[in-house]
Amino acid sequence: MGGHYMMRMGGVRSLSSIVEVLKGTNGPFITALSDVDLQVEDGEIFGILGPNGAGKTTLIKILCTLVLHDEGEALVNGFDVKREPGRVLDNLQAVLPGSRGFTWRLTGRQNLEFYALLYGLEDETARKRIDYLLELTGLLERADDGYQRYSTGMQRKLLLCRGLLRDAPILLFDEPTTGLDPFSASEFRKLLRDRLVKEEGKTILMSTHNLFEAQEMCDRIAILDRGRITACDTPDNIRYKLVDESQFTVTLHETVYGVEHEGMLDQLQGITGVYGVTPDVGSDGAFRGLTVRVDKNIDLSTVMRVLIEHNLRIKGLNTVEPTLEDAFIAMTGRRPGGPGMRERRFRG
Amino acid sequence: MRVPIVLKQIAAFTKRDFYSWSTYRTAAITQIINILIGVFSWGVRASYVQRAVNEMYESDYISFLIVGIAIGNLIMPLVQGVERRLNPWTLETILMTNLSTSVFVIGNVMFNYLFSIITFVPYLVIGVLFFGAKLSVNVPATIVAFIISAAILMGLAMISSGLRIVTKSTDPITWAINVLQNLFSGIAFPVVYLDTIFFPGVSTFSWFLPQTWVYHLCRLSMLTNPSLTDPEIAVQFLKGLAFALILLPIGYRTFKWGVNRSKREGTLGHY
Repeated sequence: MGGHYMMRMGGVRSLSSIVEVLKGTNGPFITALSDVDLQVEDGEIFGILGPNGAGKTTLIKILCTLVLHDEGEALVNGFDVKREPGRVLDNLQAVLPGSRGFTWRLTGRQNLEFYALLYGLEDETARKRIDYLLELTGLLERADDGYQRYSTGMQRKLLLCRGLLRDAPILLFDEPTTGLDPFSASEFRKLLRDRLVKEEGKTILMSTHNLFEAQEMCDRIAILDRGRITACDTPDNIRYKLVDESQFTVTLHETVYGVEHEGMLDQLQGITGVYGVTPDVGSDGAFRGLTVRVDKNIDLSTVMRVLIEHNLRIKGLNTVEPTLEDAFIAMTGRRPGGPGMRERRFRG
Repeated sequence: MRVPIVLKQIAAFTKRDFYSWSTYRTAAITQIINILIGVFSWGVRASYVQRAVNEMYESDYISFLIVGIAIGNLIMPLVQGVERRLNPWTLETILMTNLSTSVFVIGNVMFNYLFSIITFVPYLVIGVLFFGAKLSVNVPATIVAFIISAAILMGLAMISSGLRIVTKSTDPITWAINVLQNLFSGIAFPVVYLDTIFFPGVSTFSWFLPQTWVYHLCRLSMLTNPSLTDPEIAVQFLKGLAFALILLPIGYRTFKWGVNRSKREGTLGHY
C-alpha cells in the first residue's frame, strides 16, 4: 500500500516523491498519506485542511521528524527530514497542542527556561528571548504563576512561546486554535498573522478543520482527504473553482401564497441550470420570498423573467457566495470534523 | 569557567524534577516515611535471623542486608526514572528539541539518582546506629562501584525505555530481569548460597544479571574494605566494568531502535 508524496518547505526546490506507508507490526497496514505534492514558500501561511483522519497531523509530524515516511522526500529549507533531522529541527518548530510537555508545578517562566536550555540557548540569550516572548503573547504578568493555574488560552500561548524560543524561520501548527474561546482564537490568529508572519517574516504551515480560520489566515490552502491532496490553491480560487452552484435569495413584498405560485415554482424548476427552488412561506400563508439554487454560469435573467411574469414585487435580491465549507464538502463529501455523504449539487 | 551546555541541560532536568518533587509535599513526606519504615522493617528482620555471612563478604547478616537494601533503594529509582517520563507529550516535545539521547536519559534519572544517594546515607546511619551494622568501607572503591553501578543501571534503563516505547506498556525483558533479580541477584543472601540450596553451579546464572554486579561491587566495597590495587578485587571491578561497557551501548542502541521503530510506525505519540 502506498502512494507518492512530496513536501518542500522554505522555497527550496525538490523533485522526488515519497511513498508514505505506516507499517504496524502485525498490520493492518495503513496508507496515511499518498500523492502529497506541496511546496510552501517563504513568508507564506499555508493551511492543510481536512476532515478528521485525513492525515494532517501525520504530515506535520513527518515534517518535524516525529514520524518517518517509508519512501520519497520531504525537505525543510533544503534539509531532508529523514537524513538530516538535526538540521531540519534547527529550521523548524512545531507547536502541537497534544504534546505539551510542561511541568504543572513549575511557573510559565521556569518551564520556558527549562526548554530554552534543552534548545541550547545560553543564559543571557534565553532570558532576553523569554521576556520578549512573554510580552509578545501577553503572558508577562502571569509568567511567575504556576502552569497549573493557566487557562487553556494561556497554556496555548505558553506553547507558542516555547515554539518561538529558538526563533526558527518555519513554524508548524496542528489545529492551533482548537479549544480556545472565540476571542482568544481571534487574538491568537492575529498574533500569528500580524506579528510572526508580517513583522518577523516567518513561514507557517498549519493544519486545521476550522474553515473560517483557513479563509481568514492562509495565503494558500491544500485540502487533504484520506491521505491525498485533492486541491491546492488560494482560498478564493478554491471556493470559486470547486463549487458548480451558487444560490440567491429573492425577498418579496408580501403576498398570499396561492395555487398560481405552485405553477411558477414548477416553471422555475424547469429552467436549465436551476437545481432547486424553495419558497419562504409563513404559517399565516404569507409568501415572503424564494431561495433559488442555480448553476454558477446561468443567465439569471431567465429566472427573473418568470418572477416578473407572475407579477411578484421584488423587494431585494441577494446572491450567496460559495464558501470554503462548500468547497470543502465538494471535495471531501464531508463536513470538516465529521463524516457525511457527498452532496449531489457539488462536483465530485 | 564556561559550563558545557550538556551539563546545564542535565542540571535543568534535575532542577525541574526537584522543584516538582518539593511542591508535592505530601508525596515527598510519605516517600521519606516509606524509606524510614523500610529500613527499620528490614533491620528488624535481619536482627531476627542474625547469623554470620561467611560466603563472599565475611560479614554478618544485618550488615549484609542493610547494605543490600540501601543499594536496592539506589537501583529502583534509576531504572524507573526514564520510564516515568515516557509519555507521548513529553517524549515528542523533548525529541523535537534535538536533545541528545544520552542527555535525555541521564537528565531524566539524575534527580532520582541523587535523591537515592542522599537517602542511602540515612539507611546506613540507622543500620549502624540502631541495628549495629558493621561497615568496612573503602571510599575510592565505593565511588568506583557507584559509577560502574550507575553505568550498568543506565544501560538497563535505556533498554527498558527503548522497549517500552515500542510495547507501550511493561517491557518483557526488564520485567524478566527484575523478577529474576529477586531470586538470583543476591539481595537478601550471597548468590553462592544458591549452589547450596539448589545445585552446584546455579549461581553462575546470577552473574548474567545486571543487578548482581551492582549488589556485589557495592557490598564488596562497603563491607570488606577492599583495595583496588589488590588483583583479585581489581578483577571483580573489571568484570563489572566490562558488564557496564557491554550494557551501555546495547541500551543506547535499543533506545534509538525503539524511537526509530515507533517513528516509522507513526506510534510515537501513542500510549
